[in-house]
Amino acid sequence: MGEERSPLRPGPDLAEEASWVDADPEMLELQADAGRKSEELHADAAAALEQKRQRRYLVRALLRSPTFMTGLIIVLFWVFMALFSTFITQSPTDVDAMASLQAPSAAHWFGTDDLGRDVLARTMAGARTVLVIAPLATMLALLWGGIIGLVSGFYRGLTDEIIMRLVDVLLALPIIITSILILSLLGKSVAIVIVVIGALFTPVVSRTIRSAVIGEREREYVMAARLRGERSAFVMAREILPNITQPIIVEGTIRLGYAVFTAATLSFLGFGLVPPSPDWGLTIATERIFLQIAPWTVLFPAAALASLVVGVNLITDGLSRVFSK
Amino acid sequence: MLRLIGRRLLLMVPTLILVSILIFALAEVLPGDVGRSILGPYATDQQVKILNKELGADRPLYERYASWAGGFVTGDWGDSLLLKVPVFPTVMKALGNSLVLAGFALLIIVPVSVLLGVYAGLRKDSFLDRGITISTLSMTVIPEFVSGVILLYIFAVWLKWLPVTAMPPEGAPFVDRFYYLILPAIPLMFLELGYIARMARVGTVQVLAMPYIRTAVLKGLPRRRVIFGHVLRNAMVPTVTVIGSQVGWLIGGLVVIETLFVYPGIGKLMVDAAQTHDVVMLEASVLMVAVIYMVSNLLADIVVALLNPRIRMGG
Amino acid sequence: MSAMEQPASSPDAAPAALDVRDLEVTFHRRGRDLPVLKGVTLRLERGEAYGLVGESGCGKTTLAMAALRYLAANGTVDAGKVLVDGQDVSTLSEAAVRRWRGKQIAMVYQDPATALSPAMRIGDQVAEVFRYHEGLDKKEALERARESLRRVALPDPDATLRRYPFELSGGQQQRVVIAMALAVNPSLLVLDEPTTGLDATVEAEILDLIEELRGRINASILLITHNLGLVRRLCERVGVLYAGRLVEEGPARDIFTDPRHPYTMGLMRCVPRFGMNKTDAALQTIPGTLPALGEPLEGCVYSARCPMAKPVCTRREPDLYAWPGDAGAQGAAQAESMPPDPAAYSPHHANPVGEAARHARCYFSAAVSTMPATTPVLATSLEERGGAEGAVLEIGAVSRSFKDGRRRLTAVHDLSLSLKRGETFGLVGESGSGKSTLAKCVTGLIAADSGSVTFEGKLLRPTAGRRSQDALRAIQMVFQNPDSTLNPAWSTRAILTRSVRKLAGTREGSVRAKVDKLSADVRVEPRFLLQRPGDLSGGQKQRIAIARAFAGDPTLVVCDEPASALDVSVQASILNLLVELQTKEQVSYVFISHDLAVVRYISDRIGVMYLAELIEVGSAEQVFNPPHHPYTEALLSSIPKLDFDSEQQRIALRGMMPSLSEPPSGCRFHTRCHRILGEICETQEPPAQVAADGHTYNCHIPPDELLALQTGEEPVAPIAE
Repeated sequence: MGEERSPLRPGPDLAEEASWVDADPEMLELQADAGRKSEELHADAAAALEQKRQRRYLVRALLRSPTFMTGLIIVLFWVFMALFSTFITQSPTDVDAMASLQAPSAAHWFGTDDLGRDVLARTMAGARTVLVIAPLATMLALLWGGIIGLVSGFYRGLTDEIIMRLVDVLLALPIIITSILILSLLGKSVAIVIVVIGALFTPVVSRTIRSAVIGEREREYVMAARLRGERSAFVMAREILPNITQPIIVEGTIRLGYAVFTAATLSFLGFGLVPPSPDWGLTIATERIFLQIAPWTVLFPAAALASLVVGVNLITDGLSRVFSK
Repeated sequence: MLRLIGRRLLLMVPTLILVSILIFALAEVLPGDVGRSILGPYATDQQVKILNKELGADRPLYERYASWAGGFVTGDWGDSLLLKVPVFPTVMKALGNSLVLAGFALLIIVPVSVLLGVYAGLRKDSFLDRGITISTLSMTVIPEFVSGVILLYIFAVWLKWLPVTAMPPEGAPFVDRFYYLILPAIPLMFLELGYIARMARVGTVQVLAMPYIRTAVLKGLPRRRVIFGHVLRNAMVPTVTVIGSQVGWLIGGLVVIETLFVYPGIGKLMVDAAQTHDVVMLEASVLMVAVIYMVSNLLADIVVALLNPRIRMGG
Repeated sequence: MSAMEQPASSPDAAPAALDVRDLEVTFHRRGRDLPVLKGVTLRLERGEAYGLVGESGCGKTTLAMAALRYLAANGTVDAGKVLVDGQDVSTLSEAAVRRWRGKQIAMVYQDPATALSPAMRIGDQVAEVFRYHEGLDKKEALERARESLRRVALPDPDATLRRYPFELSGGQQQRVVIAMALAVNPSLLVLDEPTTGLDATVEAEILDLIEELRGRINASILLITHNLGLVRRLCERVGVLYAGRLVEEGPARDIFTDPRHPYTMGLMRCVPRFGMNKTDAALQTIPGTLPALGEPLEGCVYSARCPMAKPVCTRREPDLYAWPGDAGAQGAAQAESMPPDPAAYSPHHANPVGEAARHARCYFSAAVSTMPATTPVLATSLEERGGAEGAVLEIGAVSRSFKDGRRRLTAVHDLSLSLKRGETFGLVGESGSGKSTLAKCVTGLIAADSGSVTFEGKLLRPTAGRRSQDALRAIQMVFQNPDSTLNPAWSTRAILTRSVRKLAGTREGSVRAKVDKLSADVRVEPRFLLQRPGDLSGGQKQRIAIARAFAGDPTLVVCDEPASALDVSVQASILNLLVELQTKEQVSYVFISHDLAVVRYISDRIGVMYLAELIEVGSAEQVFNPPHHPYTEALLSSIPKLDFDSEQQRIALRGMMPSLSEPPSGCRFHTRCHRILGEICETQEPPAQVAADGHTYNCHIPPDELLALQTGEEPVAPIAE
């Protein structure tokens, strides 16, 4: 036992040590006590670990989900391109009249459009507007829809009746049509598009959150809070809200997908952005007359847009699968 | 049952009134000066004033709403500001065209997607289930103009199997229409495929977990009897509800597809009216769309009631 | 084990109805293997009724599902086999399994409401069995279905054939399920908690039916339940399952009168015997909690909770030894010093399975009968608890109704009662009688439509939101469902801290101390305070919920079925805790339960509710003994009791519980009453009869006449149809 103990190596355990200490009864009892204590500590640590394990389980399950990871990589790719493509590719707006509608080549991997702009550069930069509009619109919708859903689900009764009747009314009009109506009157700007999409998604979000709230509000812990004299705002924000985060997250990613969809569609219909923005929807709308002679001008942005929405959708699918387990 | 339908019809009235107010507000109140918004910033004040008088826009709001709504109910929808033609027949004709296109798409897609969804649900978490779920959902979330141009390129430009346009030339037999409609209908089908399939899958999965399915299996019934006798009927309830509420989404798709394929339907009519500030045409067509949406929801509710004896008998 | 391995088709012995041999089943969840059944062996002779008893997670339903070859997708049979009628279940082809299910083996389920296909007519569902097993055409099959329904004594089988499940009552639904199971005369009938969730009187009806059918069918019965009383009534033999192990097996009478495994003994002691009260005796509890599914257990599976456990019990797992035999005595002697030599005992399999065969998986079976009682009597008499001080709570003519579509359901009708300080008022009644609504009117979760709730002489506002913080503090509630009673997003400490802050108004510094005291009072170890409810067991959650109710030193706590959702071994400790807190804190309880024995045990006074009205009030003693209301009488007669000495006379109630929207005229009970007098019951509301001091009931029959009727001095009047 002359060996010096390294601080990194665990020492011999109590029982082993006891074998060379004279075994007097009091000592043994003390040791047993220590053993009981350490057992308790052990259980404590185990409990804490189990809790961490539970929470980490979700993250690990997500990381292991191929759909979620594929979606995440696709979306991150477009986020990266939206931020940094200008440093990598040619300018998306530089016009070269001499090089109009050239097929893909070494100089222009994706070819050029009618104004001689590099399609690769425009495709890579095309994510920008959509990636600004869609997340912001989604957040607005979650905020408004969350508040409306919480309030109408929590109070029920007349408040609920009125709000849901209004939601029905808004839902009776296709979102694309209502946004066209509003945008054709209000004018076209990124900010307006964000607010309009956010507002039009609000009813759907509020409906989802309302039903989640209704599921929770009859639970006994909510009654216990009422018997404690909590204000309604406290019950909604602190008691109910933390228990409906999963449906909110899933709803958020679903809406994000539709926000991309809707923003792109509005651009395509001419109610979103104006040229020379490299926005995909807008590009497809303006270049589609060249589909027969220069399909690359349309097909590349189309494929890019498709990959982004599919990416968001894969994230949604991965999330909801992991949550539902 | 009749009482149920009656009550639902009655409930539609206030919703419809609110919708019409909303449309009216959006189209006439929001832009402030109607005449100005139509004629643009370069028209003289005099011209704007004359137009406003012509439109009746100088009258008080409630009066304008009442005469508009009253006109809509009696079928007097006024004349288009731009095309100078009566709105009613124009909207109806466009609506007819759209119904042909959408009906064609739905007729094919409802059985296909229900089949796929139920199949995926029965084999929950299998490789096939994942494949069906992800591919159908992906098709659904890709905007229809994207799938539209890609399909247009493949089948019309590259392979040349299908025509580029959506309407046959004048005088062609009626059946030809469907040949021309194939290409525009596919993106519409994609649009619905994922939803309906997903709901059918979820419905199937939920029903399969119910104790009464265990009862049916442990009764010793053959698998197909369990599926067709016990699973499907109950699994269809959420699916039918979704098909009803999807009509709104389908109309949104029509707007895009009709624009892409230059098809004279109600969607194209609305986009054109919005772009040219043809307020009268716009209001009428949007309100018509809302009516269609509510009627299809009602139909879905009726089918759900037929599937569920509890609702059917409870009234 | 080789002794058992006879060929299934041995000519000299008829094959057993069910023969389970060393069955091991494992579930796979989140990458972990959870063993659920660990080498279970049991045998059901033809025509025998066998009760498999156990609490949640012990694997009893898994055993049934393995017998039906219907394990969940993540469950696998790792070893052993199941033979039904001599046929090895695992060797059947898919098609053969289908033909075999329903025809040879059939099942009755826990919740009849969900066991029937909601969108299919009853007739079609029953007829299906005949169509697929006997190849009958639609018309013939329906004809046979009608016969089947008649066999289970469903009124008006023709009308029932055309009904949908939702149009039937719970009892009728269960009759249909039974009719379906027995349709083609299976040789084995599995009953999985067939009456759990049904009301007491309906349960009694179903039990009567099963008993009666047993005489006419030749099916063996495997009854799976947590309810010992049920087994006692229906079964000849019993197996007790704990953590996937069969711990005791033998004839029902022997097991219930003389258990030889500490777990069986514990189970018998922790349910209140009929007529037992908290001031007479305390419920014995089983320490600890049920092991989680697949939890690794060293030595004897029960050693962690066993009051008799010796070191050897944790070292080496005992076999299933025969009793009486050398196992008990010798084992006890030997095991004291060293692990027993298995060869010294006669293991289970060497014993012929016969009438008298008893087995227990314990080294110390002989000592079980003298197993020490652990809990002292906790309750003091009502007077000592301050019961003389007068009314704390007075409910005056409270009514409350709900809208259900176009109908109005009156859940509480013109109800009055009062409650003394330190008193426990037990409220009994079947589902829909209005107990919970009344409780919520008291706490203010629901506002009464009319009437008054007076607390300590002050009129309370109808809803909690309008009551003063002090009134809220004084009246708290413990809810039924441990899984939703605590906010899953909060830590337990946060839950208690918030309650202490809001209710006790304690200053910052002492909040922590108060929370620690509360958790110590309800015996929750401090380490659990760091956890969220999801990581606690049902019993722990309910303890935290009780601590929360006591945060502000309440005067009155309304307990709405506080232990009903818990396993029986946990239930006892929760009831004891409530009794103990009451003695310490002088709190009053309104205690709601459908379990009459529990109410009798814990209550000082009892009120019986029927169809929104309080039909009888009195001391626990008075209400449970004649003369009492005919409904109370019927209710009491319907509970399956554990004792073998008293053969009980069951009173079957006629018809269904009437709707709350159209309560019967006159006496509300007259449509089902077995002591109906005649027209007077149908037309006139019964007067309140005073049977004794503080004991009243609403009936037209005066106390002395009723007493004569109920003590059997006069024959029970024939039921007028």
